[in-house]
Amino acid sequence: MIQLFHVWKHYAKRPALSDITLQVEKGEFVLLMGPSGAGKTTLLKLLFCAERADDGQILIQGKNVARIKPSGVPYLRRTMGFVFQDFRLLQKKTVFDNVALPLLVQGLSSFDIRRKASEALKAVGLEHRKESRPAMLSAGEQQRACIARAIVNSPLILLADEPTGNMDPDLAADIMDLFKTINARGTTLVIATHNRQVVEQVNRRVVTLAEGRLASDVGARQ
Amino acid sequence: MRRLGYWVREAVTNIRVNQTTTFIAVVTTAFTLVCFGVFLLLYLNLRGAVSSLQDDIKVIVYLHDDLPAQGLADLQRRLSGEPEAADLAYVSKDKALADFRAQFPSEQGLLQGLGENPLPASFEMTLTPRYRSVDAVKRWTDRLKAVPGVAQVQYSRDWIDNLATMIGYVELASVAVGMLLAAASVTIIANTIRLTLYARREEIEIMRLIGATGAFIKIPYLLEGAVLGALGAMLALALLKGGFEFMTLHLGLPSRVLGLAPKLGFFPFQMSVWLVVAGLFLGTVGSLISWVGLERSRT
Repeated sequence: MIQLFHVWKHYAKRPALSDITLQVEKGEFVLLMGPSGAGKTTLLKLLFCAERADDGQILIQGKNVARIKPSGVPYLRRTMGFVFQDFRLLQKKTVFDNVALPLLVQGLSSFDIRRKASEALKAVGLEHRKESRPAMLSAGEQQRACIARAIVNSPLILLADEPTGNMDPDLAADIMDLFKTINARGTTLVIATHNRQVVEQVNRRVVTLAEGRLASDVGARQ
Repeated sequence: MRRLGYWVREAVTNIRVNQTTTFIAVVTTAFTLVCFGVFLLLYLNLRGAVSSLQDDIKVIVYLHDDLPAQGLADLQRRLSGEPEAADLAYVSKDKALADFRAQFPSEQGLLQGLGENPLPASFEMTLTPRYRSVDAVKRWTDRLKAVPGVAQVQYSRDWIDNLATMIGYVELASVAVGMLLAAASVTIIANTIRLTLYARREEIEIMRLIGATGAFIKIPYLLEGAVLGALGAMLALALLKGGFEFMTLHLGLPSRVLGLAPKLGFFPFQMSVWLVVAGLFLGTVGSLISWVGLERSRT
């Protein structure tokens, strides 16, 4: 599903990622570990085509992202979902409108938009807050809204960058349970985190980055 | 359809949220378009005036005194057949004299000393509409001068030539001022949209991240630019109309200009519509320019 071969990325001539080679299979749940500045966010940005690799190859669903033109990037992104640490919800829109937005940009019918957005909100337990504005929600609810937006178009891949970064342990555990449920439905997940508790709780494959290099790649405990 | 609704809603929201900048952009655009409109009105009215004067152009063909009757009949037949001639009237020597006496009763002493009638017979001709341009009249009169029996050909050439030259200058000035003011309108609208884009840059980034294409994100802002431009043009038309009515009613301006009061007029409806369309176009271009700036700042 995701393949990286000897990928390099530099910022101001300093390597943010150095010679990363990694494969993520379809339906896998991978936790990307490492301290701040290890290159986790950079790696996710490359997968999401927000940045381009300086060297090496990245294949997503068999497509070489280096060959995707800028005009093709939105169409690749429509097959993925992305969850941000700071939620990135549109504050002027309701929760429902935020969740419906990815469907709207794809040109789905009103009926389908209503149906799918309601399903996504139900899946994250936020159906009762659909008319609320993001500012009226708690941090946990906002993150759930963000997850609902990420899964609303049934993506094959879901990427998340520190999705529990600002949450207390109980809330973080709830969110990780939600990710496990999503993964159980067949979605491939890559989640960047520096929270060891989360790693312990999830018990899935852990890829650790250190100073832009692949430090370890450990499977789930049996 | 739902997408169209979304785009319109977003454009309306942008305009509503940024009321002050929208107001400033519309008013400034209107004033720049008013300046252009003044030139356009001047040009159109002068052109109308020239056209009306050209309608009244009479070409007078003076004849040799020794032209025999047969020659006169042949010449009349030939001139009647010219495509340029709409109407032809023969003025005999006697009628010319009578007309002179009627028009200048105080100058009759001038003719008494000469004995015989010194005024030549002539043909007075009006022009068919397609030959009323200055160039066409000049070509035709040059040709007529070479016709046997014709002594001289005359028309009110200098006056019309001068007016036509002036019209040419006004036309050039209108184009130059128009281009300058169009650029000013585009810049004003581009800056207004740029402020909106800056205020909503995070929102735009989120839209990109969820898979929205550039066109999908851009359209509400292009619509906003188009609305600003069109509103500016409508306000400009209203101001111009008000100014025009004020001048015609209170200052009596048209009656002082060439004595052509009934000929002067405001933009016809179709042209007013085109002016609004031009404002709409300028607004869209302004919006597009601010987008290009945003795209460049991202790379």
